[in-house]
Amino acid sequence: MSLLEIKDVDISYGKNLTVKKVSMSLEKGEICSIVGESGSGKTTVIRAAMGLLPGGGRVSAGSITYDGMDLLGLTHEQWRELRGHDISMIFQDSGAMMNQTRLIGDSYVEYIRTHEDISKEDAWAKGIEMIERMRLPDGDRIMRSYPFQLSGGQRQRVGIAMGMTYQPKLLLADEPTSALDVTTQAQIVRQFMELRDEYGTSIIIVTHNLGVAAYMGDKIVVMKHGEVVDRGEREYILHESTNPYTKLLLDAVPTLGGKRYV
Amino acid sequence: MFDEKDLLIEARHVTRRFPTNDGRLLTACNDVNLKFYKGKTLGIVGESGCGKSTFMRFMVWLDTPTEGEIFFHGKDITKMKGAELHENRQHIQMVFQDPSTSFNPKMKIKEIVCEPLLNFNRISSSEVDAKARELLELVELPGDFADRYPHNMSGGQRQRVAIARAIALEPEFIVMDEATSALDVSVQKTVIELITRLQREKNIAIGFIAHDLGLIESFAHQVAVMYLGNIVEVMPGEGLSDICCHPYSRALLNSVFDLKMDFSQKIKAIEGEPPSPLDLPQGCPFSNRCPDCVDDCHHTKPTLTEVAPGHLVACHCCAR
Ligand SMILES: Nc1ncnc2c1ncn2[C@@H]1O[C@H](COP(=O)(O)OP(=O)(O)O)[C@@H](O)[C@H]1O
Ligand SMILES: Nc1ncnc2c1ncn2[C@@H]1O[C@H](COP(=O)(O)OP(=O)(O)O)[C@@H](O)[C@H]1O
Ligand code: SF4
Ligand SMILES: [Mg+2]
Ligand SMILES: [Mg+2]
Repeated sequence: MSLLEIKDVDISYGKNLTVKKVSMSLEKGEICSIVGESGSGKTTVIRAAMGLLPGGGRVSAGSITYDGMDLLGLTHEQWRELRGHDISMIFQDSGAMMNQTRLIGDSYVEYIRTHEDISKEDAWAKGIEMIERMRLPDGDRIMRSYPFQLSGGQRQRVGIAMGMTYQPKLLLADEPTSALDVTTQAQIVRQFMELRDEYGTSIIIVTHNLGVAAYMGDKIVVMKHGEVVDRGEREYILHESTNPYTKLLLDAVPTLGGKRYV
Repeated sequence: MFDEKDLLIEARHVTRRFPTNDGRLLTACNDVNLKFYKGKTLGIVGESGCGKSTFMRFMVWLDTPTEGEIFFHGKDITKMKGAELHENRQHIQMVFQDPSTSFNPKMKIKEIVCEPLLNFNRISSSEVDAKARELLELVELPGDFADRYPHNMSGGQRQRVAIARAIALEPEFIVMDEATSALDVSVQKTVIELITRLQREKNIAIGFIAHDLGLIESFAHQVAVMYLGNIVEVMPGEGLSDICCHPYSRALLNSVFDLKMDFSQKIKAIEGEPPSPLDLPQGCPFSNRCPDCVDDCHHTKPTLTEVAPGHLVACHCCAR
């Protein structure tokens, strides 16, 4: 049984059928990259798997199961149990998701205390430990900062630290490095790979950077206009696929020492 | 490597310091010397906050350096005023990352594209329709987009409109600040093809800010790498990945996820982030992150030195 199984899923916003008959599955410890141009439905698909579709959005056909459990039928309470513990989501700018007027540490402590019954002091210590595990030195200083006092890369690491607090089995990451410098992007990608290697975390990463998608993904799913148009192991997608859209995307990526326009 | 008679713009010893709220000075650009040539692209790369935009903004009179000069046809643009400034503004244009924020949403595309022409009395209002169509065709957009509004277009289409507007006055120099960063790769490719074609046809000099070295390498004639306000390496764009030798440039290169890389290798990311420009390290600005740092690096700041024709490096360890 796959860890996550998305099967023939349709998703609509109001009357608009946005995502059509999308299927994908993920095994334990596997990383799957979703690529495709903006508006192709990547965010919509992974938000549906997290039960976090924005207002007006709903899964109108198909099934999504996690470890054999039907996610579409879960109650609010059941979702609360699952999120953070089993499944976590990381967004493009984790900092923007935090309350800007509260210390990072206060938000983190609150997050921890909605998931487990521990004292504020213990929660604070746990926050520091997680932050430092994500290679941010001086966790206490980070906890005592406001989101705007950190760089984008630092905020993203805090977001990953929060998402990893309970070592979820599945991480859904939506363009987690798109707002970052290439150097910070490389650090964060390395971090994700270590999570998988150390904890066996399964990851779905949505990215428009095909280089990142190829480096991270054991397999790659290509989306266009709300549909999956191509999928396969990395080597297949990069070298064997004859899908014209996949080839168009790959051909557009500049490579070092590659084609020049002048 | 470049013909000096094609020299169009030369920045000499350009420095910009911003006063901070607590009375200190932040050096965003430090003694920058760069040359732009007709028909050629100079790419500037470096992590965010290293001073790329601060430097390019001088070219379009959005800011003035604290020290230094910028010569355009032999005249210092930083000192221009009145009629001379107005006259010269036509020759230098800028395209930003997100054109939607620089367009007035109530203006039709034809008004947006022709506004600079009207401002400089190059055309009359009766000529707007025809001129707009001509410009839109130049950037490969259908002529009937002229009557649309910017919100009815995709990001790539809006960026084409911004380029059409920038070339309307037939400028000699165009500054592009992360102009393709927000676009999908397939759209980015068509925009790069477009600007390189226009550059060939009209002999335009381009200053292109980007953070993707692979992209820069694919079309820049010359590349400058910036770190904490300093230019640390200047080199030809062609074959950049083989010739670049400054440890910071190499670190940037190693951070690129390239489709042709060996996916089984761990990515060689340099640690940390650049220090605050308010708190510069002694000696070499890169010394606290540099894997090759030696004792001297903490005391003496390396200067840009020519290691090959058209290739300058500021590093104690790689000046051959
Ligand atoms: N909250 C929403 N309400 C209505 N339409 C939406 C909403 N979110 C996304 N969409 C539409 O769904 C489509 C897919 O969007 P999205 O999943 O965000 O794509 P991607 O992440 O691939 O860029 C787009 O056409 C977008 O306009
Ligand atoms: N108007 C300003 N006032 C104070 N500091 C500024 C101003 N503009 C830029 N800076 C600072 O100058 C440095 C360089 O910024 P910028 O040129 O925007 O970098 P880049 O374009 O390379 O990301 C940054 O530290 C930035 O915070
Ligand atoms: S001068 Fe020293 S610290 Fe600076 S880049 Fe060269 S080796 Fe590194
Ligand atoms: Mg998205
Ligand atoms: Mg900038």
